[in-house]
Amino acid sequence: MEQFAQIQVSHLFFLAFASLAVVAAFNVILQRNPIYSAIGLIVVMCSLAGLFLTLSAEFIAAIQIIVYAGAIMVLFVFVIMLLNIREEDAKADRQKYLKFLAVPLFLALIGVVMAALKTIGNPAASSNVPGTVENVAEGMFTNYLLPFEATSVLILMAIVGSMFLARRESAEDTNEIETALNAANQPTAVEESSEEEVHA
Amino acid sequence: MQLTSLNLNYAAIAPESIVSVAAVVIMLVDAFSKKGARKINAGITLVSLVLALIAVFGLNSAGRGSYFSGMIVVDPIRVFFSVTILIVSIAVTLLASQFLRDEALPPGEFFALILFATAGMLLLAGAGDLVTVFLGLEIASITTYVMAGYRRYDTRASESSLKYFLLGSFATAFLLYGMSLVYGATATTNLTAINQAIAEGKVQFPALLMIGAALMLVGFGFKIASAPFHLWTPDVYEGAPTIVTGFMGTAPKVAVFAAFLHTFAEGFNAGGPLGSQLHHVWVTAVAIIAALTMTIGNIVALSQKNIKRMLAYSSIAHAGYALVGFVTSEAAPVGFYLLVYSLMSVGAFAVIQLLARAGDQKVEAADYAGIGFQTPALSFSLAIFLFSLAGIPPTAGFMSKFFIFKSAWDGAPTLRWLVVVAVINSIISVYYYLYPIVVMFFRPLAPGFVKPRVSTMTAVALALALIGTLYLGILPNRVMSSIGRSGTANTALVQPASK
Repeated sequence: MEQFAQIQVSHLFFLAFASLAVVAAFNVILQRNPIYSAIGLIVVMCSLAGLFLTLSAEFIAAIQIIVYAGAIMVLFVFVIMLLNIREEDAKADRQKYLKFLAVPLFLALIGVVMAALKTIGNPAASSNVPGTVENVAEGMFTNYLLPFEATSVLILMAIVGSMFLARRESAEDTNEIETALNAANQPTAVEESSEEEVHA
Repeated sequence: MQLTSLNLNYAAIAPESIVSVAAVVIMLVDAFSKKGARKINAGITLVSLVLALIAVFGLNSAGRGSYFSGMIVVDPIRVFFSVTILIVSIAVTLLASQFLRDEALPPGEFFALILFATAGMLLLAGAGDLVTVFLGLEIASITTYVMAGYRRYDTRASESSLKYFLLGSFATAFLLYGMSLVYGATATTNLTAINQAIAEGKVQFPALLMIGAALMLVGFGFKIASAPFHLWTPDVYEGAPTIVTGFMGTAPKVAVFAAFLHTFAEGFNAGGPLGSQLHHVWVTAVAIIAALTMTIGNIVALSQKNIKRMLAYSSIAHAGYALVGFVTSEAAPVGFYLLVYSLMSVGAFAVIQLLARAGDQKVEAADYAGIGFQTPALSFSLAIFLFSLAGIPPTAGFMSKFFIFKSAWDGAPTLRWLVVVAVINSIISVYYYLYPIVVMFFRPLAPGFVKPRVSTMTAVALALALIGTLYLGILPNRVMSSIGRSGTANTALVQPASK
């Protein structure tokens, strides 16, 4: 009896968070003001975090709030405010026909998911929950050691790349590039480097 | 958890480690040296790439198998594809020195990016798990997005970089969604375990597996620029600096093909009723994609006047030829094809880099009128690379096409129509490959022609590509047979590179 009551409570939580997520997701696509859409997205992220909690994946729930609702959504809101987008322009003419494609595809996706849910059963019932702090930590330093290290290479490289592309070009640099281009394209240019040259 | 069960083996990740460490070293050297430590950086890059090449040949000492709890594998596919990637990186590093000097671009970041990209591609070629496939692909892709926009003053380059970034991210999203569905269906991301789960019928919901495989096919298709996911290619290849085009048109594709082989030809090539159904579906899909890719690439290339756009469409067509090899799931012809394609393609882009002058000013076919006997070394090299791309004997392009078509003809009797389409396409392609040669040698010289200067390092890279193209065309058997064999036979691979 006690077990039965427990299941009921977790079902209630699931239903509450799931319906909140769906309503907020609709809000994201139906709002015309991008800021409201962004706020709707924050609600979606938070309710997803609640769903992770009902699966006893508390670490992933916390990360979901910190990374998505915290960092990424703040970035979204900043970009929207900086770009000063007030209302989405009503340029729907190119996407008119996509409407007829989107609805059947959406229904097909729902159908597949419903069918999948029927066969798969409840994953939370399994005893090995991957989302706890212990399990994430253990995985990160055992099975996923190599991907963990590769991720640091990825992030380092992304920092180098974005710093390079975003750096402001000084007038000196531009002049230097122009001089170099002219020098390289002239046949009788003075060699500024000692590198050996062969004429092809 | 026992540490021994993780199977840690540092020899198995030696090439990736060497290259990543060298990239960090270059950034430090660049930070602490005065502006433009180009030669030192080029030297460090070359040395680390050669060391990585040696480490790849040393992979066999680690022994065939999977390491780091299945994240990375050592097998003939990885060894051969890694060698190809490193050869391309070495050639591009040699070419980059002159490019960076002539255009006064900052050298440190460029060499660091080449090394990071190489590390990512090596990881991708050795990935035994969907997690490492994704990470390797992202490292390789994000570096190439930055390299495409390396000329920051040039709006064409920025356009190319942005387009590549947006569409590449889109493709990654497809791939990632497909991976998550495959994980949902099989409850594992390890490719061997996925194969077993399919073979033993332990798949929770087969439709999820099918949809996941289809989405992954779309993701890979984007990255190798196969039709109908090729639309980004011409703009991106045209706008990027020519040398970067040469790099991103070859090395990342080689790496993605290796991952494609590991995932589809090995992971999704399982026994059992579900396995054979999945295999049949994806082979048919790949055959259709291959036919479309070749035909669209070649027919659109016919009308191109810009030589970089022409080579972009030609690279689309070549991805189609390489996909023909997938119908038999045999790695050897695909690997050989991609090695040859990389050599001739990097060679062609290298010559165009020189002929187009600093800043990529002359890239129309008309700009090359009559230069044939003015710069004989360059124009004869370009002619040989174009002959090879067209597949005319005795160049390597002919042998590689021959191997791949023969393997598909013998191995997949139901898909022989694909070989017929491929042969017709190679005949069509001869027209647009010969056109620049005709313009170079049989048209009057355009006024204002200045001989391009060729630095020693550029000349070495060109010679490497040229010798490779001819050697593999005349004596392909040693290299070809080394892919099929596992074990220590891979020393034969070093031949085209070291010559």
